[in-house]
Amino acid sequence: MTVSPDPAGLADAAGLADAAALAVVGRPLVHDSAVKHVQGAAAYIDDIAEPARTLQVVPGHAPSAARGRILSIDLDRVRAAPGVVAVLTAADVPGINDCSPSVGGDPVFAEGRILFHGQVVFAVAAETRDQARRAARLAAIEVEAETPAVTVDDALDRNTEVLPPYEFRKGEVVAALDASPARIGGTFRIGGQEHFYLEGQAALAVPGEDGDMLVHTSTQHPTEVQHITAKVLGLPDAAVVAECRRMGGGFGGKESQATQWAVIAALVARATGRPAKIRLDRDDDMIMTGKRHDFRVDWEAGHDADGRLTGVDVAFYGRCGYSADLSLGVNDRTMFHADNAYNYPAARIHSRRLLTDTVSNTAFRGFGGPQGTVFAERVMDEIAVRLGLDPLTVRKRNFYAPAGDTTPYGMPVEDNIIHDLVAELERTSDYWVRREAVKAFNASNRILKKGLALTPVKFGISFTLIHLNQAGALVHVYSDGSIMVNHGGTEMGQGLYLKVAQVVAEEFGVGIERVKITATTTAKVPNTSPTAASSGSDLNGMAARIAAGAIRARMAAVAAAEFGVPAEEVRFRDGRVFGGNASIGFGDLAKKAYLARVQLSEAGFYKTPEIHWDRPSATGRPFFYFAYGASCTEVTVDTLTGEMRVDRVDLLHDVGRSLNPALDIGQIEGAFVQGMGWLTTEELVFDRAGRLRTHAPSTYKIPTASDVPADFRTALFESGGCRADTIYRSKAVGEPPLMLANSVLSAVFDALAALRPGRVPPLNAPATPEAILTAAKAMRSD
Amino acid sequence: MFWQPTSLQEAVRLLADEGGILVAGGTDVFPALVDRPSPAGLIDLTRCAELKGIAIGADAIRIGAGSRWSEIARASLPRGLAALQAAAREVGSVQIQNSGTIGGNLCNASPAADGVPPLLALDAAIELVGPHGLRRLRVGDFVLGNRRTARAADEILSAVLIPRRLEAGGSAFLKLGARRYMVISIVMVAVTLVPGPDGRIADARVAVGAASAAAQRLGGLEARLIGTDPVGSAPADLVSAADVAGLSPIDDVRASAAYRLDAARELVGRAILQAWEAARA
Amino acid sequence: MTTVSMTVNGRQVSADVEDRTLLVDYLRNAISLTGTHVGCDTSQCGACVVHVDGRAVKSCTMLAVQAAGSSVTTIEGLATGDELHPVQAAFREHHGLQCGFCTPGMIMTAVDMIRRHGGQLDEATVRHELEGNICRCTGYHNIVKAILDAAAKMQMPAAAE
Repeated sequence: MTVSPDPAGLADAAGLADAAALAVVGRPLVHDSAVKHVQGAAAYIDDIAEPARTLQVVPGHAPSAARGRILSIDLDRVRAAPGVVAVLTAADVPGINDCSPSVGGDPVFAEGRILFHGQVVFAVAAETRDQARRAARLAAIEVEAETPAVTVDDALDRNTEVLPPYEFRKGEVVAALDASPARIGGTFRIGGQEHFYLEGQAALAVPGEDGDMLVHTSTQHPTEVQHITAKVLGLPDAAVVAECRRMGGGFGGKESQATQWAVIAALVARATGRPAKIRLDRDDDMIMTGKRHDFRVDWEAGHDADGRLTGVDVAFYGRCGYSADLSLGVNDRTMFHADNAYNYPAARIHSRRLLTDTVSNTAFRGFGGPQGTVFAERVMDEIAVRLGLDPLTVRKRNFYAPAGDTTPYGMPVEDNIIHDLVAELERTSDYWVRREAVKAFNASNRILKKGLALTPVKFGISFTLIHLNQAGALVHVYSDGSIMVNHGGTEMGQGLYLKVAQVVAEEFGVGIERVKITATTTAKVPNTSPTAASSGSDLNGMAARIAAGAIRARMAAVAAAEFGVPAEEVRFRDGRVFGGNASIGFGDLAKKAYLARVQLSEAGFYKTPEIHWDRPSATGRPFFYFAYGASCTEVTVDTLTGEMRVDRVDLLHDVGRSLNPALDIGQIEGAFVQGMGWLTTEELVFDRAGRLRTHAPSTYKIPTASDVPADFRTALFESGGCRADTIYRSKAVGEPPLMLANSVLSAVFDALAALRPGRVPPLNAPATPEAILTAAKAMRSD
Repeated sequence: MFWQPTSLQEAVRLLADEGGILVAGGTDVFPALVDRPSPAGLIDLTRCAELKGIAIGADAIRIGAGSRWSEIARASLPRGLAALQAAAREVGSVQIQNSGTIGGNLCNASPAADGVPPLLALDAAIELVGPHGLRRLRVGDFVLGNRRTARAADEILSAVLIPRRLEAGGSAFLKLGARRYMVISIVMVAVTLVPGPDGRIADARVAVGAASAAAQRLGGLEARLIGTDPVGSAPADLVSAADVAGLSPIDDVRASAAYRLDAARELVGRAILQAWEAARA
Repeated sequence: MTTVSMTVNGRQVSADVEDRTLLVDYLRNAISLTGTHVGCDTSQCGACVVHVDGRAVKSCTMLAVQAAGSSVTTIEGLATGDELHPVQAAFREHHGLQCGFCTPGMIMTAVDMIRRHGGQLDEATVRHELEGNICRCTGYHNIVKAILDAAAKMQMPAAAE
């Protein structure tokens, strides 16, 4: 069934009903797997008991080359190594040798050319993992090495792109800039980011009869694993089942990047008839899988004497790596969020998607959006420095009006709550008092400088690829009254399974313990979208609610007949079903419904209403709604060593009416810290030969517990619920809070700006100690 | 093959007869082993009784090479060894400190080894035992360069000896990283200062790690500090560019050479002030 | 191959493994205790922390043969029957986990930390001693809260005496 017309009268109930009336939705229930996690009993791919005769698979690459023609591949020594059962290359692919999520160009195994350092050339399967690893090192691959394009600038020099440029235009930006009282601009750089999901990429393929394949895969996108495995193996989609119970973290790194490993395991299983498991080493994982796009940003903006923007002209040069992968959507989203929460009266937002001979950059929490917002904040910070105004004052002057303004892509901003939200954080964080304290501190300290920043977030919710905004769910009520729910969303720690189960429990008026959560599998719900774009609970929660609502309506009819009341008067709550003065246990009613031959199973389907987007003309309404938030961060910078400490963080975030505040606060805190890492300590270093030098946690530094300040305050903004008709008026929470970390970068900028009022600190992201010291020296130089 | 001798003598014999890699805490050896072929032999020194324990003797403090960093950090030692204990608390993480040993840190000879600068700043020596007997070397003569030491293939480092003449001084250890802790250093500094009866510096040791192939003493600076009172000086005024010019940092993924030199100069100055404060306490 | 025997979670276990087998692989593969996770293979992330003779160690920095004869405690050995260890209960209660992959190592580190510091455990110490355990999901805030709460609760019986 579909969302419209509204068969179960859901919209009314889902409306702005009193939250107190909800029994399960909105409660801070603990993660459904928490008890298993604290006992080490929750199984990840590598923990699944291996079927007998399972082979262990390791990928092999050409360690010497980043780009060039393959002259020869000699795998004889690999094949002869102890324990080796099979060695596969491109020649062993029965179907199509490509695992691209989009337009192609991602060979499973290199064919003819090496496209980046770390590209998989072959896979070796052995009895033990140790044997496979040692055998993989025995390959001799000769490559006619060519000089790789490694950086954005290399690609600009060479003029290579994975996709054509794209642009948004609003008004006449050239005229607007020409007429501006003041113009500012420059170039700065924003670094990439490694996902560093704690569970590395992994898959276990189990061959079945008739060539069927079951793939246990750690993926955000089981359907894509299914479809691409089928394509590479030369099978119909229906012959492949992809299943994922949980991931040990995803963050976008298992959206398209999980597929290749599942496919390789399936190829081995197909070739040998034996189950096959692959789990990437951390080093292999880091050099072989894509990361967040890094950018060069060239920009110019005009403003008036009060700091109000007149126009913005910006070009984003994104490093995409060797293939398109998801770069179209990622770079589009950078453009969609180049305004963040600010009204650009006139704008040209230009984007180039550059091809480099490096790993293909991919989805990462925020999907390009964070880079856009970092740019917007930089503009605000520079205006403040030029005019000697407080950065928060400049920000507030440029916020979108509560209603009536239009984004550079033509979508009206109708649900803007940033004014109220920022006003509240301004108060709760004590911004202005602390601003004075920071000024006083800086006046009396020559070496240590404090910085303070309060930055907003506005983030558009919906896949910008419109067709992905659909979801399915399968709900069964068994005759004992137990309930099983399955949907297309995947669990990576965010608590999606629990949120959807809460929705289903609410619908049936039963306790959460009655709802059985099950692994995501393409055999139960087909043609699903990735769990991405923060859409998991919006889409799957709604689909599950529709399915549960349909079953409930049928059960209500049974109860109505039993009690002799109209079906509309039947109520489901506290594990019982009420009508008139009578009631019956939910399980007893399920049994009665079964005996009455009533269908107790339903596949729900939901598609987001109202959204449309015409990419060629860059017009439409790509987002169902916006999520908002703001953060205030105080830092202390040591201007003679470049070291930096975050002293205090205040987060205020809008999740609409929360489905589960404990889960939502966890998402907000975690996203902030992940964003803070991206903008401070996490630095990806590629050498001139195109090799990633920071390919292990010893050199690539994600935040630890002591990088997070003890004074860390998080609150949910009481907004009265999402204005769009979302599941229980909640809002998506996966990605938006990552951009709360922009306040860390702006606070460092603020601290450096204190070294010499009026001069703009030349600070790039990430603000590593070295980047900070470099900027500090520039501030001190004549 | 894997051997687990219970005495130093047995370990020396095994090394001579069988060869192989010596391993103690394993915190450097095993992570590096991951993808490499199995070594022909491994000799695990963790059960050799002679390598254990910290003993305060008449002239020197003897730290068994098998002493784990957590044991050193928690031991009751004179205040002059505070820099060494501070370094012990910054090696890797708690679990690494629970496994990693001081002897292993020295033999592994990473330019960024936490243990080396404080030992240089304490005039420490080490003891090597081989089939032909025992010899002693100053730490500066033992650690020769990046992953290079003066240990002969058949010798085992058995102990670190710290002379007691500096133990009444004040000492400081500072480490700069991309993150404050749990990081392989960008630069680290250890300083020991002994006050004279006139309230001025009577003896000084300054050592810098991670800014050259092996950690180095800054002899010129040490000499200049004698007879001075650094109180009230700014760090940058205590240390000249020439003082750190002898360092030869490299550009690597952790930092550029220029940054290391800048940071080293500032950090040395701060460590001097901190050590002096401890010395006068 | 060598026969390696040790006591794991109070039970005597024995398995034939290669000399170079790491303790973590012994636990996961030879005796099927998969709660100890492999996150980074390089001693950095802490997902593999276990206790060996009362010391918290990263089981990827130790060979199984080195632990022969030792007493090893893993995440599976903390609970008493159905009753969670107070640290496990606190992680659950305070939402000190999301994807759960780092959780076993975090808890093993926390138990060791509380044992050593007891009632003296403060927030700065918790954060400092957690540096060997990486979490990519939570931002650590709830993990720190859970550890401090567990430490306080575990002190209570002593305080009542």
